[in-house]
Amino acid sequence: MIGEGPQFARLEVQIGRLLVAGVTISALLLAIGLGMWLFDPGRWNALWLLNAGLIVLMATPILRVLLSFAEYIAMRQWFFAAVTILVLLELTVTVVVALLKR
Amino acid sequence: MIHLTPTIVAIVMASGAVAGCMGGLLGLGGGVFLVPFLNAWFGLDFKTAAAISLVTVIATSSAVSAATTGRNLINLRLGMLLEVASAAGGVAAGLTISHVSDIALERGFAGVAALIAVLMLTRLERSNVIQDTTQDPGPLGGRFHDEESGGDVIYRVRRLPVAMLVSFLAGNVSAAFGIGGGILKVPVLTAWCGVPMRVAAATSSLMIGVTAVASVPIQYANGYVNPPLAGAAVLGVLVGSRGGLWFGARARSKWLKLLMAMVLMLVSITYLRRTL
Repeated sequence: MIGEGPQFARLEVQIGRLLVAGVTISALLLAIGLGMWLFDPGRWNALWLLNAGLIVLMATPILRVLLSFAEYIAMRQWFFAAVTILVLLELTVTVVVALLKR
Repeated sequence: MIHLTPTIVAIVMASGAVAGCMGGLLGLGGGVFLVPFLNAWFGLDFKTAAAISLVTVIATSSAVSAATTGRNLINLRLGMLLEVASAAGGVAAGLTISHVSDIALERGFAGVAALIAVLMLTRLERSNVIQDTTQDPGPLGGRFHDEESGGDVIYRVRRLPVAMLVSFLAGNVSAAFGIGGGILKVPVLTAWCGVPMRVAAATSSLMIGVTAVASVPIQYANGYVNPPLAGAAVLGVLVGSRGGLWFGARARSKWLKLLMAMVLMLVSITYLRRTL
């Protein structure tokens, strides 16, 4: 039955690992960057680390959607793969608009 | 933009910790507390405060969801379907937010804070809405082990269009005001759509990350996300929400909710007076 198979449980575990990795890496980058920035606000690498931390933070949910898409394709769950593509398209709009504004 | 000093960064980090703690106590993100801290109390302009708060929403979502995975509480399929609507709401608000005046946003925030306070007051006695049946969960429903009753619970999702609509609105509100929006979705999902409370809360926690990411990059490109302040707020919220969850599990939630509803009413009144 849909929603009760072991594949769904596996996807949930994979997502959990991805989120832990994303939040840990971004917190580390932000903490180191902020420490360096407080020490000397003019340092370019302090701002670079802070921005990298924020980008990893923003990328984590996007990667979660990508991972789900790959898994739904592997599970041949076409309906949910299509739903996931819609979400990815919306996020692409945002990222493209943001990149054009830079 | 104010001149950033280490003291200011420390204050923002502490605000994040306090807001995250208050949010964690109630099982919300801390956004609804962080925005007034940064804006009304600390003097950042509304859009900057909301954008920084929205960045912390992403962190809360990832951290909370990582702790919930593996228990079948997060309904990934329902979450993804509702994210189509909530991300659309986020993108729409993200694209239009720079054309809306701060005054209008502050008035809107007064309304949202009051609405959340009322929702909290009407749900004082409610902790679980679980229908224990043996029905077929359907393509969107699910099954999980309920620790309170000790048995397996099966549920079926009903009135999907209602859930989609509220998700779209929550996405809008989230992007405009820098809050997660779970407080708006969870009551609707539990009261009208047949989703058990704990599943609704866990699914919403996962959703708010993608919802926020649907607008944060635009606000980041617009220059509303100041990196040192956002970094400080994120670190504060991550620490604070952990503390809040710990205390929350040991405190009487009814009185907490009553207290927080009063705080939110005060926030709402403050915002109304500022904008009149």
